[in-house]
Amino acid sequence: MSSDIAIRVEGLGKEYIIGHQKSGDLRSSFAEKISSALGRNKIKESFWAIKDLDFEIKKGEAVGIIGRNGAGKSTLLKILSRITEPTTGRFEINGRVSSLLEVGTGFHMELTGRENIFLNGTILGMKRAEIKQKFDEIVDFSGVEKFLDTPVKHYSSGMKVRLAFSVAAHLEPEILIVDEVLAVGDAEFQKKCLGKMDEVSKNEGRTVIFVSHNMGAVERLCDTGIHLERGKGIYRGEIDSALNSYLNNSKLNEGEYFDHNSEKETPFIKKVKVNTSLPDQIHQFGEVLEILFSINIPFELNDPALSFQIIDQLGVPIVHQWYFDKDLGNFCTNGEQKIICIIEKPRLYMGNYSLNVFFSEKKYDTNIRLLNICPFRIEMTKAREEFPWNEGACKYIEDSKWILDA
Amino acid sequence: MEKLIVDASKPKWRINLKELWAYKDLFYILAYRDLRVRYAQTFLGLAWAFIQPLATLTIFTVVFGKVAAVDSMGVPYPLFAVCGMGAWTYFSFVLNQSGNSIIGAQEMVKKIYFPRLVIPLSKAVVGFVDFGIAMIFIAVLMIYYQIAPSANIVFLPVFVLLAIISALSVGIWLSALTIRYRDFQHVVPFLVQFGLYATPVGYQAKDVIKRLPEWATTLYYLNPMAGVVEGFRWSLLGGDPPSQYAYYSFTVVIVLFLSGLYYFKRVERVMADIV
Repeated sequence: MSSDIAIRVEGLGKEYIIGHQKSGDLRSSFAEKISSALGRNKIKESFWAIKDLDFEIKKGEAVGIIGRNGAGKSTLLKILSRITEPTTGRFEINGRVSSLLEVGTGFHMELTGRENIFLNGTILGMKRAEIKQKFDEIVDFSGVEKFLDTPVKHYSSGMKVRLAFSVAAHLEPEILIVDEVLAVGDAEFQKKCLGKMDEVSKNEGRTVIFVSHNMGAVERLCDTGIHLERGKGIYRGEIDSALNSYLNNSKLNEGEYFDHNSEKETPFIKKVKVNTSLPDQIHQFGEVLEILFSINIPFELNDPALSFQIIDQLGVPIVHQWYFDKDLGNFCTNGEQKIICIIEKPRLYMGNYSLNVFFSEKKYDTNIRLLNICPFRIEMTKAREEFPWNEGACKYIEDSKWILDA
Repeated sequence: MEKLIVDASKPKWRINLKELWAYKDLFYILAYRDLRVRYAQTFLGLAWAFIQPLATLTIFTVVFGKVAAVDSMGVPYPLFAVCGMGAWTYFSFVLNQSGNSIIGAQEMVKKIYFPRLVIPLSKAVVGFVDFGIAMIFIAVLMIYYQIAPSANIVFLPVFVLLAIISALSVGIWLSALTIRYRDFQHVVPFLVQFGLYATPVGYQAKDVIKRLPEWATTLYYLNPMAGVVEGFRWSLLGGDPPSQYAYYSFTVVIVLFLSGLYYFKRVERVMADIV
């Protein structure tokens, strides 16, 4: 392997058996073994999250992995981070790796900020001496020095994220693998983090693999991109071309989100659909827009909340709407709850949009995020005579009055 | 330059000791976390670590010492019992903790790589605290009753090591099994409770064996802790050396340990997918 290659992936594949990812109880497993011994084996459905993936990443390259939900991005990161093993193929990594699929992994609420810095740092692969040496810097970056000896459970969620990200930002790997971790934290802190990551890849010459739905961030941070679609790499090259490949491909073909897993005994979002005024997920500007949700509810929920954002092509949220059951009306206690959001007079301007959907509930600490689903397009079909509609002229059109003041 | 190769077509049964060693800091900090959190927001704090064994000892002294009046080798019963409890407390603690250990750490397991063996291993480290407290009890009672430890005490480290290996082996087995079969969450408390009576903690093994047929004796010593607890007490108080059956226990410990490591490595590959 030539020395300027950081990562080489050959024929990588990961197969999951649908409906069997969860650990079963002894009885069902024995029953299966008996029935398979009797030759009455049910055909198990399997699914390749990633298949026949080959690529190389050079040292110092910043690569964005892009693709829709379920395209295999997270699975790829999990395999490269060695969290799970591939079913087929192999990969080689040259250099010390740190992977950041989440900030604050292992944080313990009863421990103080100081203790959590050591705990989290060690979990991320730092040595104790290394953390000691960088301790002041980490504390500085986080801005929580006053609360260093307070248990983290008394922190605000923003403070927790700051502290967690500060630890992560002080990792010094040769290769950094980062999943969508920037979705947390306030805007200012996000900017600080993006800056830090930029610094890592551009100035310090480290190899970075980055997954995000925020296309703006991907474009800014990465030199090259890999576009994944249904577990396969369909484009590998310059970041701009990779983004184009993704945007063209993800446009309008899949209007509906559907979770096929019917066995879950946890609350989850079964279905999301955008009802557009025209076929093929195309919506006429100004017409009533309906967004349909269907949520699986296995037991009585505690303060459930559903919300969604309408995001533009670059992942920037334009609209945010929410439903808190305690304010508006209670969800059913068992079964499938359908819920519709009707936007009477949407003002979104021409362009491609999709949804981020969030669902949370306190009893089982449910926290579901579905990012970049249900793409749809808004068209301005009623043409104007004076000038054509230009895409990108604005994001939304406000209702306003013009008055000629004499 | 660090180099890592992962190849799906190559089996990986080997335990990478070098890697495990490289993760020793993680191992300590997880143990530290468990210790810190254990008595967080309790009024009595660390005192609980003394109250619990003291309560057990009192019950044993009343039930076995006074009511059943078991033969305690001519030693005051509380000292006799506490010598049995030393090794057993450690074993039962590790058992209780490690069964759920990987499920308890699932958020970590799903988000970051580290040798998963670190989790049950760190539980074995946490158990040293309870073990140390049991040793304090033993020392205090020896001073109180003016009884010196026997010369066999040179063998004590051997039996401590055996107790650690036996706790670890069952712990590793249970932590890996519980991931796939949550049933074991319900088995563990039962195992611990049953084991307390099936192990010569509060009585001498020979008093039980003489009333058992040959096959039942063999069965009795298949309990990995039977030989360990017997040997532990022998090295502190002297008396009859462990019976030849105790070697069954020792063999079981070794077999459980090696098979446990093998099974754990097998499950480790898909741990993040099934936990």
